[in-house]
Amino acid sequence: MIVNRNITMTWWERIYLPEIFRGISVTSNHFFRNLIGFIPALLNKDKKRKIFTLYYPDEKVEFPPAYRGRPVLVVDENGTERCVACGLCEIVCPAKCIEIQPDETELEKERYPKSFSINMARCIFCGFCEEVCPKEAIVMSDECEIADLDRNKMFYKKDQLLISKNKLQKRLNYIKEIYGKWNY
Amino acid sequence: MEDFLITTAKVLFIFGLNMGVFAPLLTWVERKQSALMQDRIGANRADILGFSMIGLFHPIADAIKMLAKEDFIPEGANKIMHTLSPIICVVPALLTFAVIPFGGEYVIGGKHIKLVIADLDVGLIFIFAISSLATYGTVIAGWSSNNNWSLLGSLRASAQMISYEVAMGFTLVGVFMVYGSLQLTQIGAAQESFFRWGIFLQPLGFFMFLACAIAENKRAPFDVAEGESEIIAGYFLEYSGLKFGMFYMAEFLEIVTISAMVTTLFFGAWHIPFISSALILSMLSFLNETLANIILMLIHISVFWVKVIFFIWFQMTIRWTLPRFRYDQIMKLGWKILLPLSLANILVTGIVILILQ
Repeated sequence: MIVNRNITMTWWERIYLPEIFRGISVTSNHFFRNLIGFIPALLNKDKKRKIFTLYYPDEKVEFPPAYRGRPVLVVDENGTERCVACGLCEIVCPAKCIEIQPDETELEKERYPKSFSINMARCIFCGFCEEVCPKEAIVMSDECEIADLDRNKMFYKKDQLLISKNKLQKRLNYIKEIYGKWNY
Repeated sequence: MEDFLITTAKVLFIFGLNMGVFAPLLTWVERKQSALMQDRIGANRADILGFSMIGLFHPIADAIKMLAKEDFIPEGANKIMHTLSPIICVVPALLTFAVIPFGGEYVIGGKHIKLVIADLDVGLIFIFAISSLATYGTVIAGWSSNNNWSLLGSLRASAQMISYEVAMGFTLVGVFMVYGSLQLTQIGAAQESFFRWGIFLQPLGFFMFLACAIAENKRAPFDVAEGESEIIAGYFLEYSGLKFGMFYMAEFLEIVTISAMVTTLFFGAWHIPFISSALILSMLSFLNETLANIILMLIHISVFWVKVIFFIWFQMTIRWTLPRFRYDQIMKLGWKILLPLSLANILVTGIVILILQ
């Protein structure tokens, strides 16, 4: 069936051959750019990469600090977590995936979470827990490869959530900047 | 005895190069080139001991996969024809190389050696005769499968191939009017000087021949016969395992054949632009005659295959650039545009030859 689409072509387009060459020049432009561009990527000299396709499992993206990966608990220099088990994140969590059991401690902060678990199968990565936290104790990291075939393994315990402060410094600076108006 | 050995060596060279290098490598080339053109990465997962070699092991993986698959013949299919048709597809693609010269004539050890397996006087006509046999392969494949989609595919394939065969024959009439020979070695030898190349003498002929040849090969933009999105895979839908692989092999070998023909007829065969064989021989005059001729032969062979590889690249680029034609557009292009244009090309060529005489 011939459908009349009311396309009017110029004489130049109707002789077809020049348009073919235009198309070929576009595709071969991409071809040569990618043909040569992957060499610096393989040699890990990709400071200014020409191609934007990543060789994913071999090559990883560095996410910007605004990226929200899985939530983690910040561990301070003295080796303990910042969390004081106030329970705000537990309450604000829209997916109700955080569960905290508080306990008392001899340290200055007086309270600490005896157990802290996040059900990552339910987490929606909204970042409310991070926003509501008065101690900057729970932040969103840049880890996103957390898929699993077993639901029980998606139930993250406290020892899986603790990550030292140095690794999260970028995100900590970033949340100070965006939530700074609350002056905590 | 000597002649027999030389011919055997040539046959082994052509056969080995086609079946051992081009047929497996082109599957890799097609996947990788299409990936690069579309800003993807392409095949790179198959590895041996952790070395993936930019995906070069994928042809081996493919071959193992095809050998391990079940060789399925559908119920109600004509078993003999079903088995025969992949062979009918592959053989013509290989056979056309018998008359295509991949080098000139050399004096080695006082013996004149022509780098062509069979130097037929009717080389071009032989190529037409053999390549039209491939039509039978597709028609029988579609018919013997006892499947409606296959039959539709083979109907489309036969109609398309037969219509483009006519135009293809006429486009090349201009070439042998200009060179005055049907012998491919003579056509090649006549293109010694750069401005006697077929592309300058028959520019329209080149474009029309390439279009017809790609249509003959049933590759995109002329792949309605295969039509993955409409009739699944067309004529080779009911094939599996090695037979399916043979259809692909035939397609890839045809690409090489078309590239070799375009090189021989329009792009100076084995000649290097502006550098004649006599010039190379005079530069190599400090060696003895046999050695100089062997070096010249190696240069010419590599020049020929470099040109062939360029045209393989070009055909792949066309295949991954242009969208598929509609069926009526294919027929319109074949009968209403290419056929009259090729006839006009013959007329104009004849008039110009008459004027120049």
